[in-house]
Amino acid sequence: MTRHPAPQGTILEIQRMSTEDGPGIRSTVFFKGCSLSCGWCHNPESIRPEPQIQWLKTACIGCRLCLDACPQKALTRAANGDIVIDRKLCLGCGTCAEVCPSAAMELLGKKWTVSALADELVKDRAFFETSGGGVTLSGGEAALQHDFCLALLRELRARDIATALDTCGQLSAKALTDLLPYVDVLLYDLKEIDPQKHRAFTGRDNEKILANAVLAARFKKERPYPKTLWLRTPIIPEATDTADNLRGLGDFIRERLGNAADRWELCAFNNLCRDKYLRLGLDWPYAGKSLPEKSQMEELAAVAQSRVPSLAVSWSGSVRLADRAGGKNKTARGC
Amino acid sequence: MNMVLTPEHTMKQPGPLSDRIRWLRDYYFRGTERAWNNEFTAWTTGTPWDVIYNELTFYIVPETYPLLATLGASYLQAARPVALAPDFWNWSLSERRAWFVRETIVNYVPQEILPGDLIAGARFNIQTSLCFTEAESQQWTRQVKGKNGARSKMKWFHDHGYGNAGATSGHLIPGHERALALGWKGIYADLMSVYNALKPQERAGAKGAQLRAMMTAATMARDLAGKYRLLCEKLAAAEPSAARRAELQTMAANLSRVPWEPAATFWEAVQALWFNHMLVMTDENYPGAGVSLGRIDQYLYPYYEKSLRDGMPREWAKEILKCFWIHANTAYDAMIRNGNQGITAGFGQLVTLSGLGAGGEDMTNALTYVLLEVIDEMSPILEPKPNVRLHRQSPDALLDKIVAMIASSQGAPFLLNFDERSMAGMMREARLAGLSHLITEGNVHEYAPVGCLENTMVGNDRSGTVDNNINLLKAVELALTGGRDLLPFTDPMTGKTEPIRQDGPRTPDAASLKTWEDFWQAYAVQTRCIIEKCANLYETSEAIRARFFPTPYLSCLVKGCAEKGLDVTQGGAEISFTTLEAVTFATTVDSLLAVRYLVFDRRICTLPELVAALQANWRGYEVLQAQAKNRAPKYGRDDDAADALARQVMELWCGETWRHKTRSTNRQFRPGMLSWNYWAGDGYILAASADGRMRGQFLSNAICPSNGADIHGPTANTNSVGKVLGGKAPDGGDWLDYINFLPNGASHTITFNPSILADPAHRDKFKAFLRGYAQNGGTALQINLLDPDMLRDAQAHPQDYRHLLVRITGYNAYFTTVGRELQNEVIERVSHRKF
Repeated sequence: MTRHPAPQGTILEIQRMSTEDGPGIRSTVFFKGCSLSCGWCHNPESIRPEPQIQWLKTACIGCRLCLDACPQKALTRAANGDIVIDRKLCLGCGTCAEVCPSAAMELLGKKWTVSALADELVKDRAFFETSGGGVTLSGGEAALQHDFCLALLRELRARDIATALDTCGQLSAKALTDLLPYVDVLLYDLKEIDPQKHRAFTGRDNEKILANAVLAARFKKERPYPKTLWLRTPIIPEATDTADNLRGLGDFIRERLGNAADRWELCAFNNLCRDKYLRLGLDWPYAGKSLPEKSQMEELAAVAQSRVPSLAVSWSGSVRLADRAGGKNKTARGC
Repeated sequence: MNMVLTPEHTMKQPGPLSDRIRWLRDYYFRGTERAWNNEFTAWTTGTPWDVIYNELTFYIVPETYPLLATLGASYLQAARPVALAPDFWNWSLSERRAWFVRETIVNYVPQEILPGDLIAGARFNIQTSLCFTEAESQQWTRQVKGKNGARSKMKWFHDHGYGNAGATSGHLIPGHERALALGWKGIYADLMSVYNALKPQERAGAKGAQLRAMMTAATMARDLAGKYRLLCEKLAAAEPSAARRAELQTMAANLSRVPWEPAATFWEAVQALWFNHMLVMTDENYPGAGVSLGRIDQYLYPYYEKSLRDGMPREWAKEILKCFWIHANTAYDAMIRNGNQGITAGFGQLVTLSGLGAGGEDMTNALTYVLLEVIDEMSPILEPKPNVRLHRQSPDALLDKIVAMIASSQGAPFLLNFDERSMAGMMREARLAGLSHLITEGNVHEYAPVGCLENTMVGNDRSGTVDNNINLLKAVELALTGGRDLLPFTDPMTGKTEPIRQDGPRTPDAASLKTWEDFWQAYAVQTRCIIEKCANLYETSEAIRARFFPTPYLSCLVKGCAEKGLDVTQGGAEISFTTLEAVTFATTVDSLLAVRYLVFDRRICTLPELVAALQANWRGYEVLQAQAKNRAPKYGRDDDAADALARQVMELWCGETWRHKTRSTNRQFRPGMLSWNYWAGDGYILAASADGRMRGQFLSNAICPSNGADIHGPTANTNSVGKVLGGKAPDGGDWLDYINFLPNGASHTITFNPSILADPAHRDKFKAFLRGYAQNGGTALQINLLDPDMLRDAQAHPQDYRHLLVRITGYNAYFTTVGRELQNEVIERVSHRKF
């Protein structure tokens, strides 16, 4: 009898001792590939499913080894010394990253087997146990690599590691149904209540996302898993940062999710990812946008709270420097 | 995916403080502007051959090498004569010394009490004559300064990048609990009964002399207390304020009893403790480095509890302790005219709080929290340096307090020790050194750290915790060259370049090392050699100290000395190790990993090419250097393959260390990792290394990963550290399932972004990290919480940041007073960055 080869996943990064991706101390696995393409995305390198090359100017020592090594001749050196990647020619084979002595050429997205990845993730078991933490699958959209994601969740459950899935919700009901029994904590993004706006912001309307939220909420109430449901809304300037949106999302949560959610967090936009877009050769329409003001975050949180009186609403992230004094919530993770 | 760094330009402010304490604290920080200070005064027998400065004790401080001759000469020049007892020159050296120190501090050094102070005992820093006869003086001079003397050997060792070694004062925990309980009266009586039990010929010999010296020393605290009592009475008589008059009267009453009689109240106990502690520094002519106080929340607790019952307000206990805190800081006045930092920075009169008890129970008590409040309210201030012992069952309330203090300070105002791993190391040293009757499962919890984090037993243990500092990296250099320095040494003073010699064993040259195993073998041979060289160098100064520099007062406070009739400098302590502290651990491991990766695994270059690159300081080999830096594996990332080599390195050098004992005093060498500031300074001495480091760049610090190497964050860093210390053995370690190859302990610093303590939820995560550290990590942890913007601002405006404390290896320092390079280094390692 032949066995199916073990599924492999394309993983962008593993971040250990993450304190921002669920309860306790966590190791977060960033999957590559996303089912949405949000204009504000803080992890643009996670959107495309295939491996990509990026060049880190500050690490480059100008040795030119990559230029000669590229089998596609996709690399050239500009007059100012910058390495230019012709994205049309580049196949993401990683040869340049292999030869680069200074790790300036970086292959974004590496292949992992389930067992190798799980071996890496269990290394912080002691810290998971002392903190009530575990492993979070994030991305990108982890569920997009469905088989691998499911196999990894199962493996972690077998090794007695608590799991969290951080999802945008844009996946089939079947896929979500498969995954949920292996998820201890579901981190669920609700970005925009208006379907047209949602499509404009993310490339997709929110029909599936809202339906899956209802599905997850029902699961949580009726089944052993997920045990915890955290909702998250990115507060993006001139996009999701309207009171109308928060009211609409709040009404949806109250009316359709019952009391399933355990908390709802508003995550302030941050602009630290400008360099990432540059490195990937992408324009970023949000490059010029500034951080929200603290007062705005507080107002939006109050609006949200008014719609869901029984649910704990909080906000997190960096706010504009001038009004930061005295603020308690000062750190952010790209939502 | 990114944590946002948020600058927080807030300085920890002291307080709340009473007017009394605020005045004393502000006064202290006026430094050289003060009318009163505790700088060294020098005292001579008046002979033309007198020697005053025991330079051996500074051989582990390379910054002082250019000053040794000057300091010795200037103390002599400034010294005032002390009228000698008529039969002074008929006594043994230790008796002369005991008498001279007592005579000086009691009858020559002035006694003063600062306004409002509740603790007597102000000036204690003195440089006294070594009390030599002419013949002794000649011998000393020849053995120290002669052509092949201790000084020139020490300089050769340091100049050639091996490290340093020297018999150093301080660095132990005297038996304070016993001294408080018995008083000096009881100690004196014990000495007398040992002396009386001696056979006549013993009495006439060295043993008798030593005990007589100790009995003389045992009256020093009594006589000085008598002087201070008179002063208190005089001040009280002239004092207009009734409240202050009453304080002075109580102080006089205290001093009429302690430290001669057993302490009866908390105030008496703290007064006695200060006297007993301060006079160690007097006796050793050494201002405080590593003269540690042990578990003060444990042995002061009965006095605290009794006085509370008798009506002492809790705040008053804090007021008394805060005066003790001020006094401890005046140790720094010793060389105050050289600046209040410089070579006198980072002393480490360590106090220990909390920790395990006999039955595995937690020993945190009400006094622990009182002391934490004192530390919090006095911070930022350097001394006494606190170390909090944590273990797996440490109570949440303690962790909450600790985390709150870390959050409000610029970093932890204390070090954290971890009991299970530390006790495993103590049990291991007992087994390996045949001391299982002295360090047992029943008493190992009584251990306490010295100086920063160097674990020892208490009251019967001097383990020379800073005496030997070896650069493990030197063995990699010698393995690459067949035992010859990679670069010739040029004396910066004379400009003369020495020819390269065959200093190490003649292992095969680079071209002949064909496999990784060949290379490892050469490294092992060279490691054996450098450790032997270090032990031999140490022997030189250990023998001189044992012969010429008795400290009979200190010997009274260390169990074993009276019983053996041996001074503590002669190996009198029941437990008498000397510790070899390995420096450059991660640089060494990373260099070996790079050799294996570049030469043997990937065949990117040959070994001779790598040697050429290092000789050229990587110039012209930039691609190879980048590969070494960025592509070769590194220790500190929880990479099992890399950490396995790190553990191999650890087991090798520890094994070599255990092979040595001092010949003159029979002290066993034991391993540890402290590395003080050598990893910075010696980076300019050691040639470029295979890990990609250029000459002049810093080496790695203690057990920490190389700067910037810990790209997988604090948990991975922690796991690597725990693994190389021995990890855990499921079938039984040295303590529970823990193994610890380094009984001395290992300095580990992790810098966190302040966001980790931003709110209660994050603080809980940080507490959980500490609990995880107790499971997986090392023996000691220092928490830095810094952000780079603040540090850059401090560089630009040092005047605004005079009190900004940072931790650089095992000691605190005021940021603005450390060198620019070290400042930059601290800034660089604030965030865990990729190369």
